[in-house]
Formats: sequence, structure tokens, C-alpha cells
Amino acid sequence: MIEFRDVHKFYDKLHVIRGIDLSITKGEVVVICGPSGSGKSTLIRLVNQLEILSRGDILVDGQSVASLRSRSLRQLRTQIGFVFQQFNLYPHLTAEQNITLALRKVLSITPKDATLRAVELLERVGLADKRQAYPAQLSGGQQQRVAIARTLAMRPKILLFDEPTSALDPEMIGEVLTVMRDLATSGITMLVVTHEMGFARELADLVVFIDQGVILENAKPSDFFLSPQHPRTRQFLRQLLSPLHTAND
Amino acid sequence: MGGLTFDWIGVLGGAPLEWLELGVLTTLYVTFAGFLVATLIAIVLLGLRISEKQIIQWPAITVVAVFRNTPLLVQILFWYFAGFGLLPADWRAWINDDHSWAMLPGGVGLLTPEFLAATWGLGVFSGVFIAEEIRAGLMAVAPGQREAALAQGFGHWRCLGYILLPQALANAWQPVVGQYLNLMKLSSLAAAIGLAEITYQVRQIESYNSHALEAFAVGTLLYLAIGMVMGQILLRCGPRSGTMIRGGIRRGP
Amino acid sequence: MGLDFTVVVRNLDYLLWGRLAEGELGGLLLTVIMAVSAGALSLLLGITLAVIAWRYAAIPRKLLFLWAELIRGVPLIFVIFWLYFLVPALFGGGIPNALSVILALAWFSSAAIMHSVLAGLQALPCSQYEAGIASGFTEFQVLRWILLPQALKNLIPSFVGLFASLIKDTSLAFIVNVPELTMVASQVNSRTQLFPTEIFLSIAALYFILCSVLSLIARSISNR
Repeated sequence: MIEFRDVHKFYDKLHVIRGIDLSITKGEVVVICGPSGSGKSTLIRLVNQLEILSRGDILVDGQSVASLRSRSLRQLRTQIGFVFQQFNLYPHLTAEQNITLALRKVLSITPKDATLRAVELLERVGLADKRQAYPAQLSGGQQQRVAIARTLAMRPKILLFDEPTSALDPEMIGEVLTVMRDLATSGITMLVVTHEMGFARELADLVVFIDQGVILENAKPSDFFLSPQHPRTRQFLRQLLSPLHTAND
Repeated sequence: MGGLTFDWIGVLGGAPLEWLELGVLTTLYVTFAGFLVATLIAIVLLGLRISEKQIIQWPAITVVAVFRNTPLLVQILFWYFAGFGLLPADWRAWINDDHSWAMLPGGVGLLTPEFLAATWGLGVFSGVFIAEEIRAGLMAVAPGQREAALAQGFGHWRCLGYILLPQALANAWQPVVGQYLNLMKLSSLAAAIGLAEITYQVRQIESYNSHALEAFAVGTLLYLAIGMVMGQILLRCGPRSGTMIRGGIRRGP
Repeated sequence: MGLDFTVVVRNLDYLLWGRLAEGELGGLLLTVIMAVSAGALSLLLGITLAVIAWRYAAIPRKLLFLWAELIRGVPLIFVIFWLYFLVPALFGGGIPNALSVILALAWFSSAAIMHSVLAGLQALPCSQYEAGIASGFTEFQVLRWILLPQALKNLIPSFVGLFASLIKDTSLAFIVNVPELTMVASQVNSRTQLFPTEIFLSIAALYFILCSVLSLIARSISNR
């Protein structure tokens, strides 16, 4: 489904992704973790080409991402859902319009069908009563749930999450994780960058640990948490799981 | 003049009153025509300026720099004395002909060199500033907005049209209204090429019966009143920004 | 179309400094002198007004804002008219036209300067004020030695930008027959009749060079 082949990314001289090989099969839920600045966000942003590859290639459904331009790139992006850390809802549109806009303008779905889909998805994320609310009138957790609904509305084959709970107050993390848990068991392919180790332990098929642009550990959650191989992974887990650890980063 | 005594009848009666009425109409017409030209120019410049290609951006950057860094008066004089002369001869002859159909209500000629040069000069000058205000509003839109749109499969122009520009316009509306009001006030410079708007008429009254202070007072009030009405209308018509409070973003702990 | 700039070359000294030899200042030189004097005056006036508005937040600030709003609502030409006619009427005549234009420009821009200096003062963290008071300064001393220096330093680029606007605005002095650059250029134009393109392009270039150099300076200061 997604295959990273010797993927590299440079920002000028800064080498942030240094040769990543990774294979993800259909329906898998993969959690990517690592210290901040390790390149984990860059890695998933490369999948839908929000960042441009410097070297190597990523295959999505056997199709090379590096060679895609304009129209075919846009088409690929409609099939890959992306959930941002800062939600990035469109502030000038209501929750419902946030969901229907791309349906109508990119996928050319009729306004009526688009609205139906929006209503259905807002219900699914538990926000049926917030159709007419503007982003500024919603809490962080609600905004992120609308953002997830907006992503799902495009019926993507793959979902990418970039630290979806890191910008949230602690009491709102739960409601977003509930929605994500629901998705993880639905059989969709998911690539999740997160510090929520509970989510990883419970739902991931694979946990990938990245540091300084390289994969140090790639294992099933049971192995990852019980017998990590690399000393840096052990250190990372110790810090993250220690009670003195301060929330995110 | 001899001290400060006022005689309002010398301004608000007889020929001066008629001149003032004509002046107000002319100011309104040239402002409205300039408004249309400015809007058009702003759209074109903005389109060039935010294109993805450098080669297309450059002409727009040059135009903006030239018109921002020279006085509007010089620009108007240029359009009137030089620009008009650069038009093909038969166009000039046609413009100088009598056109009864181009007579606006109140007897203001639309197709005169003065009206055209003033409209064009004001329009280009203000258009440049308006384009820059909107571009500044565009820069103020959070970068995540563009990314979200791209991730949903929007292309460059659709992303601009549906996501970025509505927010940019709401951000920039107040300064844009300021620029339109400026256009109205700057139409006073058209007096220099003999367009018979308010400022021109005020000076005419001054030389006709030396009622300078009274005429200036009336002129000042007229500009203030037009500006107030125009500002209210434009602010009402503008994009509503009430519901989109800055940043739909709440930061975590 | 061929352009013939000999008319500009022949009148170059007139365009640059007017009839300086006969003791009558004009042209570009007068433009610059007027802009510099108006700039200095408006800084002085604008900062003073900002300090008053900052210190007396109640009625004086409201009155100053109203005054600035009125100034902004009227075309600059009218501000020039008013000073041109009012100053002699009030003080018994006899001031040169150029001076009344300088006063009008200073009057006009001081409103903008007042607003930006006040905003600059208000943007400073109030801990600065408290720290000053805590170390025993009087209110005025805090303003003079702690707040204003910081606020004004941040505002230097916008002052440079304002100076560029003043250079352009001096062209409005034509309305009261001051022989600055635009005025002498239109005199040359109406005397020769044949070369409007060359003449106006040339003086536009002069203004352009002056103003873009100023805006480059402003940008490099604010990037520092």
C-alpha cells in the first residue's frame, strides 16, 4: 500500500530524513514515534508531497509519488487524508462547509449529496449539533474532530495523522482518541505520528521509532514496548512513560 | 480679505452654488469610475503577483514599485499631457468630438481628456495600493490553511479562490476601504488638469468673489460628508469577519 | 516613437534647483528642503501629541483622535489651503507660500506620527514602565529615558517611509504656486509644449529614485 524506498529529505544542507525504507500493507495501522526534531512529521508529509522528496521514492498503491505533478498529484491527494496538529480548519466556513467544500469543488459532488455526507460524518464524530458552528466557536477537541470528519468525507484509502492530539488540552485528548480508535478498527490504512503510547500499544500493528532521520526500531507493539532493541528507544520510552515526563515535547 | 468675517450667501447662492453642485457630481462620478478601474487593476496585479511563476511576478512587482514611488500628481499630469498624446490620432479626435450619449446626468462629460486621465490615473494608483493591501492580508493567512487545501487536492487557483482569498479579503477589508476613501480624496488632484470637481470649483469661487474661507469650509465639509457615507457603505458591503475570529487555533498546554 | 530628452537637459539646472542664482530656491532642491523641514516638524509635533495622548488617556486622547480623524478625512490640498489662508489672516500676513505648505504637511503627517508613536508606546510591555517607576524615576523621566527610546527605535523604518510620502506630497504645493519640482516641470512643459512625455518621465524618475532609495533604507533597517 505504501512503500518508502531509500527516502531522503534535505532542507538546504540540513539532512532530516536519511534513507528510510518501510513497507506498509493495506489495512495496517502504523504508529511513528520519536523525539522532537527526529523527522517523523516530515516523513508523513512526504507521502502526500506537502514536502518534496530530495531522493528516493515513495510508492502509494504501486504508483511513484516523486514523479507526480499537478493534476495527478491532486488526484493522489484526494485519496490520502491528512489530519494536522493544528487542525487547519477553514475559519471563514462553518463545520459543515468545511466538510462540503472540497467534496463539491474537488470531487464535483452535488451540494445535496455533499451535505448528506457531512451530516453523516459529523454524527459519526459526535458533533451532529455543531453543523452551523464556525471553528472559532468550537473547542480544540471539537475542531480536531471536525477536521477528521472533513478528511474522512473524501473517502480516502490512506489516513495520515500528524500529532493530532499534541495541540489539545489534556481533557480533550480522549474524545479525539475515541474517534481514532473507531477508525483504526475499521480496516483503513493509517499512518499516525503521535506520542500517545496507549494508542500505539492498543491499536498499532507496527510501531516505528525514528531518531535523527533514521529508523531505529520497527516492531510489533508487544515487542516494541517489552523488549526494545536499541538503547535510544529504551531511553525514549523511559522518558515518555516516566511520571515526571512533561506532556508533549 | 480683512480679518475673519463670513458671508455664506456668496458661496451657497447664485452661480457659486451651481458650480458646487456640479463639482460634487463630478467628484462622485470620477470617484466611482476610478473605483471600477482601481478594482480591475487590483485584481489583475494581484493575479500576476501571486502566480507561481517568477517571470509573471516581475512585471507586477515593477508596476507596483513605479506607481508607489512617484507622486500621484505627476502621474496624473503624465497621463493628461503625455499619455493622452500617445493615443492614436483618430482615437483622440473621437474623444474630443461631442458625445451626447456620454453625458452623465448633471451635465458631466464622461469622454473628455480630463475625465479620462483623472479616472485612469486615480484608478491605476489606487489599484496598486489595493493589490498590495490584499497581498498583505494574504500573507497573514496561516500557512496551515494552504497546506490543508493542498492536502485535500485543491489546485493553486482553487485554493486561492475558495480558501485563501476570502480570508485575505476579510483581513484586509479595512485598509482596502481606506484606499478607496483615499481615491475619493485624491480626486481633488484632478483640479490640476482642470477637471471641474469640488476643489476646482472652490478655487473658482475664490477667484470669482474672494470668499475663500467660506468656500474652503464648504469644500472641507463636502469631502468629510462624502467620505463618511462612502466609508459606511463600503464597510457594510465588505466581507463579514465577525465569525472568523483570529486563529481557529487553540494551543495545547 | 522617438524620445528627445534635450529639453530636459537644457532645463536641468532649472529642474534641479530653480532660479537659485537669482536667490529664488526651486526645483528638486526645494522639494527636498520642504520634505526635510516638514518631516522634522511633524516628528516633533507628532511625538509631543503622542506623549499627551499616552499620559492623558481620557478626554485629551479622545480629542486628539478626533482631530486626527478630521485631518485624515480631508484631502491634503485642503489642509494646505487652510494654512495658506488662515496663517496670514491670524498672524497678519507675510509668510512665504513654501512655509505655509511646510506647516500644512507637518500638520497633516503629525497625525499619523502621533498614532504610530502611541501604538509603539502601548506595544511595550508594562513591566518596563513599572521597572522605571520602581527605581525612582518620575513618570516623565521614565517616558523620556526608558519608553520613548525603545518605541522610537522600533518606529524608525516607518518614519523613513513617512518621509518618502512627504517627498511625494510636496508636489501638492503646486496649488499655491510654490516652484517645487512638479511645478517647475509643468512650467517647462507649458513653455515648450512639445515634450510632455520626456519631461514628466524624467521628473517621475527623480522622485522614483529618491523614494525607492528611502524605502530600501527602511526595509534594511527593519530587517536588521
